[in-house]
Amino acid sequence: MGIKWYKTVLKALGIALIAFTVFGPVSSLILWSIAIKWYWPHVLPQEVGLAYWKQALGLQRDWAIAAVSILDAFKASIIIACIATGLTMVVSIPAAYALARLRLPLKVLFFLLFLMPKVFPQQPIFVNLLPVFTQWELAGTVQGVILVHILVCLLFGVWISTSAFKAIPEALEEAARSVGATAWQTFWRILMPLAMPGLLVSTIFVFVTSLTEFTGTFFIGLPFVTTLPMLLYSASGYNMQFASVLAIVLLVPSLLLMIVTERIFRPEFLSAVGR
Amino acid sequence: MPEVRLREITKRYGKVIAVNGVTLTVEDQEILTLLGPSGCGKTTTLRCIAGFVIPDSGQIFIDDQDVTRIPPEKRDIGFVFQNYALWPHMTVFENLAFGLQLRRIPKAEIRQRVREVLSLVRLSGMEDRYPRQLSGGQQQRVALARALVLRPRVLLLDEPLSNLDAKLREEMRFEIRELQRQLGITAIYVTHDQAEALVLSDRIAVLNEGRLVQLGRPAEIYQHPANRFVAGFIGLSSFVEARVVAVEANAATLETEDGMRFTVPKEGGLVEEQTIVLAIRPEHVEIVDIPSEAVENLFQAEVLRAAYLGNSIDCRLRLGKWELRTLLPPGRIPSPGEKLWIHLPPEKLILVKA
Repeated sequence: MGIKWYKTVLKALGIALIAFTVFGPVSSLILWSIAIKWYWPHVLPQEVGLAYWKQALGLQRDWAIAAVSILDAFKASIIIACIATGLTMVVSIPAAYALARLRLPLKVLFFLLFLMPKVFPQQPIFVNLLPVFTQWELAGTVQGVILVHILVCLLFGVWISTSAFKAIPEALEEAARSVGATAWQTFWRILMPLAMPGLLVSTIFVFVTSLTEFTGTFFIGLPFVTTLPMLLYSASGYNMQFASVLAIVLLVPSLLLMIVTERIFRPEFLSAVGR
Repeated sequence: MPEVRLREITKRYGKVIAVNGVTLTVEDQEILTLLGPSGCGKTTTLRCIAGFVIPDSGQIFIDDQDVTRIPPEKRDIGFVFQNYALWPHMTVFENLAFGLQLRRIPKAEIRQRVREVLSLVRLSGMEDRYPRQLSGGQQQRVALARALVLRPRVLLLDEPLSNLDAKLREEMRFEIRELQRQLGITAIYVTHDQAEALVLSDRIAVLNEGRLVQLGRPAEIYQHPANRFVAGFIGLSSFVEARVVAVEANAATLETEDGMRFTVPKEGGLVEEQTIVLAIRPEHVEIVDIPSEAVENLFQAEVLRAAYLGNSIDCRLRLGKWELRTLLPPGRIPSPGEKLWIHLPPEKLILVKA
């Protein structure tokens, strides 16, 4: 009985901790995004309203409210994220297959190449990248920002995709070859369907990484390319309301993706892949 | 005629020679077993025939066509894997139909052929199941059906029964043998299980350390093992080393270091002073109650330990400095230390090179 009581309390504490860390900041964000007036020492806002939301979504223009329309930045963020994700996965999938299956002599070096932008401090990398990009006339362009995003995203793209391919027993490929499938047919009919859950997870990671990418965009993109994280950065110091609106908007695509791809996280689907 | 010929197949992995100059021919409609302990090169040899592995040197012919460098999908072979390797995202029907679809066979015919082969492996009506919904034995039969539905020139089986429980394994041995006969398909079967090899095979190729040690019918290999390795690997054997002391018209006499004398049938090539190994099968050791001076190869042995096996008694004896393994008929279990008289009929003794 003593142990049971102890366990229940521990479980309750655990759940409370998770709830607090997840819902605490989110509920604070929601509260801040609708607060018109909120001064110390009040626990709740004195005045609430959707003024910041309206302003941010371009539904009203009021000079008294310190928020600008985020529609252009939102559009830019989504377009950049979609293109960067598409290109990253186009590179990642063949690279991951090669890393998972082929006996490459320089495998470690190859892998290190993808790791580089993540393991070294980011600022010096991008500061050094700026002159190069300027020379190639990519600085301050959407193309330049997409390229930087691909550099940052390749790690997740290649890494997760590699383990997706590695989880598939080689005998399944050999079996396909033995019944007459070419290497190409085997890849599309056997490997890709089996690797799909892992590849989708990888795609989500890449998309979210690109959507929220800050450092690279800051150095390469500003002042001509403005994405949502750029707006959030400029708002976060002085304008809690506008920053909260932006933060919630940034959460939405990730949450939507999780819901859409929820199917792949079901245990029976995942366990089928392991067989 | 789908006949498979291997000529001097060699495959190295780094410094290890997995297959070392294996030459053999598998006859049309024959089932040949590659038998040996793990690491003997049997699976690598099979994978060379399938095309999953390209040998460093040597040639492979199927039907007189040199396939050594032809990719697996163009070899027209069927392969059954040890862990089944069914595609988990496809139903049984889709698993079987995949190869037929690639060959652009009309849908109606595909359905017909899948149904036929499923009834052949006694899995009718299982078309819509997924592999994970089947038992191990059923999965294995689907894997077999997937290979057979294409009517390949050669069927290759890589330890297909080793993941099944003992009882099912024994049933499947006969089933595979029966199917192979019925379809008249040329088959190569890899196993480390000598009992399986003896039951299944028309001929057995025994491999050890990458080399082909002996090739022959099961009875030939059991009765006339080529060397000490084969004698020990196929069936149980106890070994006694001895020197040839006399060669006569139809018998020879051997003497061990510790002075025991054995009479053996004279075989070609026996010379005096030669050292030779005597392989003694457990079932060839006879226990005699009353020793008689007239009988040759009569010895007194001491019981080391005895274990009751139900239908027999596994009894280990000490004969001089050698240990003999015997299988006694059920009855009284001898106790350790007991002295027994044993008789080794000369014609049953196997001589192998030292």
